[in-house]
Amino acid sequence: MTGAAVAVVVVLAALLVGAGYLLGRRTARPVRPSDVGTPVEHATFETLHTASLAAPPLRAGLTEESARRAARRLRSLLGTDALCLTDRERVLVWDGAGHHHGKDVMEHLQVLLDNGRDTAFDSGCGDLDCPLRWAVAVPLTVENRVLGALVAYAPRESAVLARAAGEVARWVCVQLELAELDRSRTQLIEAEIKALRAQISPHFIFNSLAAIASFVRTDPEQARELLLEFADFTRYSFRRHGEFTTLADELHSIDQYLALVRARFGERLSVTLQVAPEVLPVALPFLCLQPLVENAVKHGLEGAVTRSRITISALDAGSEAEVVIEDDGTGMDPERLRQILRGEGGTSTGIGLLNVDERLRQVYGDDYGLVIETGVGAGMKITLRLPKYRAGVHGS
Amino acid sequence: MSAPDHMASWVAVALVVLATVLVGGFGLRISRTTSDFYVASRTVRPRLNAAAISGEYLSAASFLGVAGLVLVHGPDMLWYPVGYTAGYLVLLVFVAAPLRRSGAYTLPDFAEGRLESRQVRRLVSALVVGAGWLYLVPQLQGAGLTLKILTGAPGWLGDVLVATVVAAAVAAGGMRSITFVQVFQYWLKLTALLVPALFLVLAWQGDGRPRVSFDDQLAVFRADHPLYATYGLIVATFLGTMGLPHVVVRFYTSPNGRDARRTTVAVLALVGLFYLLPPIYGALGRLYTPELRYGGDADAAVLLLPARVIGGLGGDFLGALIAGGAFAAFLSTASGLTMAVAGVITQDVLPSRGVRHFRLATVLAIAVPLVGSLLVSRVPVADAVGMAFAVSASSFCPLLVLGIWWRRLTPPGAVAGLLLGGGSALLAVAITVSGAVRPPGWPHALLAWPAVWSVPVGFLAMILVSLATPGRIPPGTNAAMTRFHLPEALSSARAAAGRER
Amino acid sequence: MSAEPTPRREVVTGEPRRVRPLPRYRTQSEIDEQTALGGAYVRSLMRGQLRAGLTVFGVLALVAGTLPLLFAALNSSALVWAVLGFATYPPLTLAAWWYVRRAERNERDFARLVEGRPAP
Repeated sequence: MTGAAVAVVVVLAALLVGAGYLLGRRTARPVRPSDVGTPVEHATFETLHTASLAAPPLRAGLTEESARRAARRLRSLLGTDALCLTDRERVLVWDGAGHHHGKDVMEHLQVLLDNGRDTAFDSGCGDLDCPLRWAVAVPLTVENRVLGALVAYAPRESAVLARAAGEVARWVCVQLELAELDRSRTQLIEAEIKALRAQISPHFIFNSLAAIASFVRTDPEQARELLLEFADFTRYSFRRHGEFTTLADELHSIDQYLALVRARFGERLSVTLQVAPEVLPVALPFLCLQPLVENAVKHGLEGAVTRSRITISALDAGSEAEVVIEDDGTGMDPERLRQILRGEGGTSTGIGLLNVDERLRQVYGDDYGLVIETGVGAGMKITLRLPKYRAGVHGS
Repeated sequence: MSAPDHMASWVAVALVVLATVLVGGFGLRISRTTSDFYVASRTVRPRLNAAAISGEYLSAASFLGVAGLVLVHGPDMLWYPVGYTAGYLVLLVFVAAPLRRSGAYTLPDFAEGRLESRQVRRLVSALVVGAGWLYLVPQLQGAGLTLKILTGAPGWLGDVLVATVVAAAVAAGGMRSITFVQVFQYWLKLTALLVPALFLVLAWQGDGRPRVSFDDQLAVFRADHPLYATYGLIVATFLGTMGLPHVVVRFYTSPNGRDARRTTVAVLALVGLFYLLPPIYGALGRLYTPELRYGGDADAAVLLLPARVIGGLGGDFLGALIAGGAFAAFLSTASGLTMAVAGVITQDVLPSRGVRHFRLATVLAIAVPLVGSLLVSRVPVADAVGMAFAVSASSFCPLLVLGIWWRRLTPPGAVAGLLLGGGSALLAVAITVSGAVRPPGWPHALLAWPAVWSVPVGFLAMILVSLATPGRIPPGTNAAMTRFHLPEALSSARAAAGRER
Repeated sequence: MSAEPTPRREVVTGEPRRVRPLPRYRTQSEIDEQTALGGAYVRSLMRGQLRAGLTVFGVLALVAGTLPLLFAALNSSALVWAVLGFATYPPLTLAAWWYVRRAERNERDFARLVEGRPAP
């Protein structure tokens, strides 16, 4: 009995103390008002906060969707009754009262869209009490191109609004410029992958087809198989979607590539593959190994070397996979290789190496660049480490 | 105590170690030409992967501990193997396929991917290391015991020896958790228990089938609150399996979520098959090694039985087979755990990456439990493993189940659940192991089998705090849920559609 | 590799770029996955899978919850030994097998629903 009583008392006491603490925090007033900010400071905070909320949608560029999501924030930033955002052709969004004014906005904006200068106009509303009798329009520009306009409405002329609308529009422009930057960066990556695909194509396609052609008479079955490999390989290399793939798919494509190469060079090229099945599901950037293998083949068959040996291994190393591509070919001057990896190579030889190194570092961080051991006439050994898991990297 | 012949056992142990190292180190060095490539490029099939998972999972607790506990405390202890198996059923229905589809390699990966928070990741890492260490201690102690039975060497020597072998092997990269090694270990363990069991049962029949009685005496501290202890055990093992670090890691090897499910069913069958054997050893131990009930080394029953029941050269041979199997159990589980723990330490604890750091982490991963195994008084192997399950059940189970099925989980909620559930279970286990609270009475029972209260605490804390912080729901939640649950057939159909465009 | 003396190799790595490691990839892949199929579809699949899982788990919990009480009431060690030692494993495996069939059927139905194919 006493035990239960003690427990109840303890629990009650704890609850009381907790309630008292919360009440105290609620009712406590700061001693000096300046500690928690003046009204002006509060207004600033609020403005900054609203602006920060409007920023993310705008980072997607100027579209109907992003305009719709940003407009409400922008209007509360300006404190007007109505606000509209347009692109060059039409009204993207109308936020606030008086939708019917929206249909003749574009007429008022013709000049602005041409010369990019701020403008103000009477909305031409007959109703004297209409809160939208006057409007100020500011162009939205990115790199000297007028993308659209921001139009803010007021019951009467207001210099304060004109100024505020100008500032807000400038801020919007900065966001749109950032969006443009994002887009061009994505395009750059895509362009890099495209460049890789392009690099594979001309020589390799010509040589493969020539090799296949040579079998058509002598060994039609072999020719048929090679043609299928070729089709599969090109389908993979030219696929359009996804920045990532799995090690299984990438190695499969390499296998097809090697089958085609060996059809041409036969005994001159011997290839050894070691693959630990544990690492096959590992996700990695698309076309990351392909250029390295191609490089090894090229080095192996270059110059006076008559027979060449290439070893490709993918092994399990705990939370990482380790891929090694080694050839006993002509190798490379280390100094020259350093130049290539710095991006000062110039010729086409090292573009693949540089591109792969850059993409690995971009995706996994600087610790995961290529490690290459080479010397003139000493062959080349390229080692990659691939983390088994990285947030956002999912093979498709 | 009549020990089996030392020479035969030593040879068996040496053979197991050698075979393990050989299969692991050289199995994959066999060069493949491109024509064999299609064989290699097929990812691990469910059945093979299941044998590998079972090989890594069946630890010293299963091989020696279960029979020892049945011998001392009676058949109620068979809840352990039932729980170890049923844990896979729970894992199957709630976790298997989504976990594979998440692409996470370790639990910290899952936590970071789902909750998008480095803080939660670090906390999960700490708990993974804690649970892994807890699980390693009994493995080392079991090895020490086995070596003592085999050679009469002092108990600490075996702990140190196995720890050194595992550390050296893992750090040198010679014994990676390669599928084929683990598959080999599973079949070895099964054979090592199955063949002697057949002979033992034959010998028992030749003996005139004496009746086994379990009714005479049960240990004091179990009799205290046996029903509560049973429930504690059930909750811990049923829900704890899904969070064990070396179990999670192996799911990555499945090519996709559907195969992960099928793998789990096969694991259930294989693990269940193995667990048909320890009860036989427990019952026969009751008959032929009754003195072990009173000493501290009941776990030795399995090792001693062949010499005791069959004797002669045959007994020595079968004893050697069991010794080999026991060592396979220590090596596979201990190295799998050490790998997993060392991986987490390198990634989330030590500052920079690289091979040297992984070696340092390996030493750290095995040294701490080694010190623990030497300092702490010997808890029965299966009991100590049960504690690791309790920690896992109260922290990782809520994280995985809610993370996979509940959209409103937030990072603060996860932190609260992990700290309150996992933390309290860890604390309870630490107090029990330190011996601060002694058997008779409820305090000891509550601390020694914490899962009954700590699992609800973990779940409740996670749910309530998540509901109180709705603003912190990670922005990528919907995307993560889609990835977890969308069948592969659809993802690849989408990819194909993308190709057409 | 071979026995004859080969020229020495040097280790070469690129210089650090110090770029931000990830963020853009993440949002990209997530947007992809979100827009491809509506959240409502995925939620319905999840409900179906969760129901199958909870069915199995419910049966398991019921059995595991009552067995210890039953054993305590009957007080027969031989029964406990036989049931826990041997009789539990086949039902566990069967339950797992049933769940996998059910879950895979759910996924097939879902795929059909999403792709707008009629039931066979």
